[in-house]
Amino acid sequence: MLMGLLVLAVIGSWELYLRSTGIPLDYDDGKELWSDKRAKVYDDPVKTTVFIGSSRIKFDLDIATWEKMTGREAVQLSIVGSTPMPILRDLGNDTNFRGKLVVDVTEPLFFNNDSAEVQKPDVYVAYYKHRTPAQKASFAINHLLESRLLFLDQDAFSLNAELDKKVKLYNRPGVFVFPDFPDDFGRTTFERQSYMTKKFVADTSLQHQVQNIWLFLIHSGGHDAAPKEDPVPIVLRSVQNAVNKIRARGGEVVFTRTPSSGPFRAGEEHVFPRQAMWDPLLASTHSMGYYFADNPATAHFDCPEWSHLAPADAILYTKALINELPPSFVTSK
Amino acid sequence: MVFNSYTFIAFFVIVLILHNLPFSWKVKKINLLLASYIFYAAWNPPFILLLWLSTVVDYFVGKALYTQTNKHKKRGLLVISLIGNLGMLCFFKYGSFLLENFVHLVQLLGIHYQPAKPNIILPAGISFYTFTTLCYTIDMYKKESRPVRSLLDFSLFVTFFPHLVAGPIVRPPQLVPQFETPRTASRRQLMEGLFLLSVGLFMKVVLADGMLAGTADAVFNSADVLPGLDAWAGSLAFAGQIFFDFAGYSTCAIGVALCLGFVLPQNFRFPYAATSLSDFWRRWHITLSSWLRDYLYIPLGGNRQGRWRTYLNLMITMLLGGLWHGANWTFVAWGGLHGLYLWIEKFFRDRKEKASPMPVTAAAMVLPAYGRKTGVFVSGTTGELMEEPVAHPGKEVVLPTGIFNTRLKGLPAALFVFFLVNITWVFFRAGTFAQAGHLLTAMAGFSHGAHPLLKTLSMVKVGVVVLLLLITQWLLRNTKLTDVAYHLPWWLTGLIWSFMVILVILSQESSGSFIYFQF
Repeated sequence: MLMGLLVLAVIGSWELYLRSTGIPLDYDDGKELWSDKRAKVYDDPVKTTVFIGSSRIKFDLDIATWEKMTGREAVQLSIVGSTPMPILRDLGNDTNFRGKLVVDVTEPLFFNNDSAEVQKPDVYVAYYKHRTPAQKASFAINHLLESRLLFLDQDAFSLNAELDKKVKLYNRPGVFVFPDFPDDFGRTTFERQSYMTKKFVADTSLQHQVQNIWLFLIHSGGHDAAPKEDPVPIVLRSVQNAVNKIRARGGEVVFTRTPSSGPFRAGEEHVFPRQAMWDPLLASTHSMGYYFADNPATAHFDCPEWSHLAPADAILYTKALINELPPSFVTSK
Repeated sequence: MVFNSYTFIAFFVIVLILHNLPFSWKVKKINLLLASYIFYAAWNPPFILLLWLSTVVDYFVGKALYTQTNKHKKRGLLVISLIGNLGMLCFFKYGSFLLENFVHLVQLLGIHYQPAKPNIILPAGISFYTFTTLCYTIDMYKKESRPVRSLLDFSLFVTFFPHLVAGPIVRPPQLVPQFETPRTASRRQLMEGLFLLSVGLFMKVVLADGMLAGTADAVFNSADVLPGLDAWAGSLAFAGQIFFDFAGYSTCAIGVALCLGFVLPQNFRFPYAATSLSDFWRRWHITLSSWLRDYLYIPLGGNRQGRWRTYLNLMITMLLGGLWHGANWTFVAWGGLHGLYLWIEKFFRDRKEKASPMPVTAAAMVLPAYGRKTGVFVSGTTGELMEEPVAHPGKEVVLPTGIFNTRLKGLPAALFVFFLVNITWVFFRAGTFAQAGHLLTAMAGFSHGAHPLLKTLSMVKVGVVVLLLLITQWLLRNTKLTDVAYHLPWWLTGLIWSFMVILVILSQESSGSFIYFQF
């Protein structure tokens, strides 16, 4: 009795406190949610478009706008901080997939064969393939709870997340410590769309915090040993192979390059020039591609933290994307 | 399904309600059996066929073994059961391993043979339920217990969901009689069961997954040369993780069964408070240790065939015990290292006994009344591997009057045993000998050009949790959790219980599996 009351009081108070902060509800963007969406790629290809990529397309594609304008469901399979190549290969090898696929390219991640970049998508794909009935049932129950309780947010409010945020200890020199993203930077919907909170869009100090993380990553990436073999031809061959398989079954594939800005964009153009990456990608796969800078409606976007669009711009970008994609990707008849 | 999942909570609530409705005992048992099949099928439905096969074959073979009087036919039946059970285990668990070693062997002989890589999925819990059914048929062969009356009771004995996937490994006399008469949990049993379930979840979710798994994984998966501090933190983290993970599962299993009115055997008795290696094996995975003692070590001859044969039997038992854990030579090395420790321990004990007219083993006694009540025996050093302590009338050890053992005598020995066990965990967790070698080298302080890996917070978590683990185990080493809970003031028990449940909810950590599922 005492135990029940105490547990209710503490958890209830914690939930009420979090609600009072105004932070919106968030879904854990893990392999369970990803697998739930992965299972949707077999839905009617006339009513479904599948998106794979890294974090940018998760922020930049406004799913509500997409579904309202096209009447098609957007299946978001992109995974933050990783290359979509394992997912593309998986879809290529899946003989039941015959759908419409949009592949978003973030060059530093896409043209990267490093095991760290493929680890997460590999884990997600493996989890999807071996999901047990018990895991599916747990996901359904979790969805019911997660849709109602703010504190059920592992990345932001779990015990370890709180310890990481609140207990700051000196680390030995040489220990790699990944900087913390502010909670307001990326919240996730059940459809796996990521978005910045209003607070983040308004608060330049939070934006600077994320900009500093990009600078940190660029700086630490510069110290990595050069790969033994140029990854670009390897990636291109792998893409070509997967795309050909999908097309042979009647599926369709297009590529997009979502916006970036500021020093991030300048760095990308310098290290990953369009002529050496994007153009060969389209040429080798004989694909249609939509590069944001080619369209005046999207060329001017200024990303608050240089790499992802704010929610209002995501709506505009989505509208422009719908206009640029082939009709078979955006019409439901 | 796993205990630390929403599916299990929903499942368990339904089972608990059904078990307390006014159905006949037979209907309740059928409910429990169906629930157990659902529990198992929730992983991989086709593997339930294996479970059925094992159950049906062993039920009928067991019955025939008990009634058969012809010696040859009896042996034939036993061979059928052994081939059925061990054959299934060998194929699913050791198939790839055996093939891999065969390929290495023929390549050593200069023959080039490269077969296709087999894609064998290990059915959950196969090692556990195989041992459960195996002990039944062996008992029937030796007529050590009576055959189970009905297929329903036998199926429930094999499949009863709390112990099915990762133990405790139950023997027929421990569980079958409980199916013969109607039972539901008393209020006290229900409370104890829920308390143990909470403790088990706390151990698994908060401590194993939340506090230790990340550090252990980071260190054991690192390809870099690590400083000694990181290597020690990683190995200590794994020592804590494996205990909290497995003992957490067992505690959940015992708690769940108790909520339904059934008593399962204890599987852990504060093993890191062991003051000798043989004491450790009386406290760690007790049901496996006693299984190996009764069905392997003693049939091999135990300590009845001379000193050297005892050493050999000891080593064979530990090596096979290691292999039971996984199809990898590192597990065999883990078992071998424990065997070696036990050898050394036995050697010195034998020498001491020879030199002293009063055997040291006089300590191996049990207080019958206390032991019966709590299932806890005073640890002894009989020199016999994993044997139950033997009562020596007139030489009973006086237990501390309080519930906690605050005496420090034996603490240095316990710490030394923990150190030795910690070394063995490196082989248990490392995927290869090279990886184990890297880590042991770093732990020994030889790590030139090392890069620090762990954040200070991670090391603090490991330090605090492992220190508290050792202190708690030492203080409670002669008692049981539920006794402690009843001994404390009700409000303090309530506070501790609440604290654990709150942290389970807040930690939101779950690996979705238990380490011992892979065995």
